[in-house]
Amino acid sequence: MPKIVIDGKTVEAQDGLTVFKAAAAAGVDIPHFCYHPAFVPEGSCRLCLVEIAGSAKLELSCSTVVREGMTVSTQSPRVQEARKSVLEFLLAEHPLDCPICDKAGECKLQDYYRDHGLTESAFSEFKERREKKVRIGEKLLLDRERCILCTRCVRFLTDITRTQELGVFERGVHAEISTYEGELVASSYSGNLVDLCPVGAITDTEFRFKTRPWFLTRGESICPLCSRGCNIFVDYQRGMARVPKSAKVLRIRPRINPDVNGHWLCDYGRYGYMTMQRDNRSENVTRKSGLRPRPEWDDVVAFLGGELRRMKTEAGSKNLAVIVTPWLTNEELFLVKKIFIENLGAGQVYFAGPAAAEGDGILLTSERAPNSRGALEIGLDTRPFALEALAETTGMLWIFGSDVGEPFSTEAFRAAAIPLKIVISSRLGALTELADIVLPSATAAEKSGSFTNINGRIQKFAAVARSCGATRPASDILLNIARAAHLNDPYYDRLADVSAIFEALAGEIPFFGKRS
Amino acid sequence: MTTPIKNLTAHFELDNLFKIQVFMDGGGYRALKKVLAEGTSAQVLEAVKKANLRGRGGAGFPAGLKWGFVPKATDKPKYLCVNADEGEPGTFKDRYLLNHNPHLLIEGIVITSYAVGIHDAYIYIRGEYEAIARRLEGAIEEARVNGLLGKNILGSGFDLELRVHRGAGSYICGEETALLESLEGKRGNPRLKPPFPAFVGLFGCPTVINNVETLANVPSIIDHGPDWFLSQGRPNDGGTRIFGVSGAVNNPGIYELPVGTSLREIIETHAGGIKDGKKLKAVIPGGMSAPILRADEIDMPMDCESVAAAGSMIGSGAVIVIDEATPILEVLKKVAKFYAHESCGQCTPCRIGTSWIHKIVKRLAAGEGRKADLDTLLRLASNIKGRTLCPMGDAASLPVLSIIQKFRKELDATVKN
Repeated sequence: MPKIVIDGKTVEAQDGLTVFKAAAAAGVDIPHFCYHPAFVPEGSCRLCLVEIAGSAKLELSCSTVVREGMTVSTQSPRVQEARKSVLEFLLAEHPLDCPICDKAGECKLQDYYRDHGLTESAFSEFKERREKKVRIGEKLLLDRERCILCTRCVRFLTDITRTQELGVFERGVHAEISTYEGELVASSYSGNLVDLCPVGAITDTEFRFKTRPWFLTRGESICPLCSRGCNIFVDYQRGMARVPKSAKVLRIRPRINPDVNGHWLCDYGRYGYMTMQRDNRSENVTRKSGLRPRPEWDDVVAFLGGELRRMKTEAGSKNLAVIVTPWLTNEELFLVKKIFIENLGAGQVYFAGPAAAEGDGILLTSERAPNSRGALEIGLDTRPFALEALAETTGMLWIFGSDVGEPFSTEAFRAAAIPLKIVISSRLGALTELADIVLPSATAAEKSGSFTNINGRIQKFAAVARSCGATRPASDILLNIARAAHLNDPYYDRLADVSAIFEALAGEIPFFGKRS
Repeated sequence: MTTPIKNLTAHFELDNLFKIQVFMDGGGYRALKKVLAEGTSAQVLEAVKKANLRGRGGAGFPAGLKWGFVPKATDKPKYLCVNADEGEPGTFKDRYLLNHNPHLLIEGIVITSYAVGIHDAYIYIRGEYEAIARRLEGAIEEARVNGLLGKNILGSGFDLELRVHRGAGSYICGEETALLESLEGKRGNPRLKPPFPAFVGLFGCPTVINNVETLANVPSIIDHGPDWFLSQGRPNDGGTRIFGVSGAVNNPGIYELPVGTSLREIIETHAGGIKDGKKLKAVIPGGMSAPILRADEIDMPMDCESVAAAGSMIGSGAVIVIDEATPILEVLKKVAKFYAHESCGQCTPCRIGTSWIHKIVKRLAAGEGRKADLDTLLRLASNIKGRTLCPMGDAASLPVLSIIQKFRKELDATVKN
């Protein structure tokens, strides 16, 4: 553990660390562009140069390994001057695009320029003109004037995805990033290129020109599109409380978690999340019979509570069927078990998992739902559901929907004559069409809870977006119905919120107790 | 006056010296035979170290010392790369060596490979030397047929494969790590050092990279001994050098002279002085990347240390002579254009700095210079110097700095406003 001095502070650095990493560990941030923790040091941007006593030249902190007694200065006048010169060079050939560039507000070039004095430009020549809207991927545009040739994009596709769709072509100031002729970045991790690019050279067509980062609120969540449970940031606009649909999720970005998703997100999750959040949302309570097609939520819940109460007292629960999906949180699945199995003794409880798909061997798993493991650990039978299994005598069927697509084919349902079908789903579709009662439920973005990922990791998350209309989290719906049915008032009344539900869950099932 | 010596340029008057029989008739491959018959690799290393053979490509790094860095115990194959890229403007000495006496280089390659324990060698030759590359390949084939290359050379049990690889028009591929990248089939971008090629080189294996002329000196060091070699030059810089004189002289061409010969003597005596009776204005002593010297600075011994002490570089020994009829702005224009064109584009200061400098110099040359331009050029060049990924940053900035600093008055006069 060599002892080094950084900006006058003595620190013990781990053996083999670079000056950059040792400084970061000591809380000293060194400006950089080409360096990225997921890649081998590149050394081309020259912004991370620091002064090391005994060396006549400034040295790169990203690639110089610490030695005992090393004295480093990251803020000396020589270092400041060197940094300013690198920024000056970059800005000399950089277009004045800030007013129309997506990256403004979260752009490293802007930030460092601001931090280093906002000097007047001395460049009075003609800037290089280049193509500004090159399609390099299905949802990716490249602006070659903005590109600072940090080559993070090239190295991501070479070192991480190993698909090598991008390269540097030409030489000197004419060097440019390009795909090979006629090809596009096809990697299913292409969305990460937008996050990686320190400036606005690579932009996402899904996000382009939609908003400004300072209008966004950032929340932390877990991606529910597969069982990996990648950690994410959800960037959303709060909107106005009384204006429906003014709250909007605009962007998903990866949240670093070395144990789950590292630095990355797959495109399926990144863009699928947006679709899940935005398209085909179910927002209204509907009821097929009855006088009003859009009844009040309270009335429907009271009605359902009454029906369940009746079922319990008349011992008709063997005619009660429930179809559960792995889109529910641990807390919701626990409530399903308590209510339908323990309290009501439902005759049939089924599990409808997602359609079989392929994992990509990196992050995306073959199971395209977030919480099968949770269902398994809670003790719900996770064998796949088949329509034929539904008993002919089913009197009441509860279906929990999936946040994407239809969990199963509903054609056969039309033939089955089940008198009361209740669907709790965030999406409109064939399922909500066939329902007698629809209670709109919140997506993962709009509720708090936890998922158990494929490796048994329990990850808690809080709601980041506001739901619209009569949409409520399934946990809310279930609790209120349980209370309306007076299934076990002392028990359900104590469960004031989601964390109380998790506490109860952890208390009853050791898997959640020891891991939480 | 120092008499020109004919070590490297011996028998150059023969136009078929590249034929192996002619080469051998003149004593060629004698040193190799001696080494394989009675010498050890350690002895060769010792001899080259003692002879103080400095690299002739530009850096002047002692060859014996460089070879000594290669780890003795390694399970990786070792490689030798011969730098025949000869990209430094003003340099043409290797062209002569390769064209007239390829076998001398081959002999030097085999002896060196034997000394370091290398069994695969590559000659990286600039793409423009197409005919010379063919002649090299022909010579290699002759050597192979005569048992001097390939398996079990001259029955010694030592194997060596030698291949020629042509470059594709990039100056930066003369930089040793960019050369390796190019040889590996990748973009010719220099690598970060450390690690140095002696440890992590071609294909990640220990590699020696030497200039053509450096290796061409090895046979005579073996033949006549390190003391002889030292005696021809300076104590810390032995042997002879091939100086390539070009520009406004009466007799441009190559001159093999002892290391330490005075620059004035090279220009005035051997190269016949300034053409058309003009006056000398400036000299670039070591290829265009070397800082320029004024006419009053040419009383200087041409050896690595002395030229460095005078604030320039011996570089590749390419002496570019500029007379009073050449506006210094013309020189600056050529300098700026070259480095902007040849920058690989990897690191920020060189990629953008060389282009920015070129843009300003173009404006100056077009008569549209502004008062701040020369100081801006000095500032930009200083911001490139010492801050780049590879030595080309210095190569691009030192000439600009020295030209403006030494000829400021003349350049100021070109700025109308």
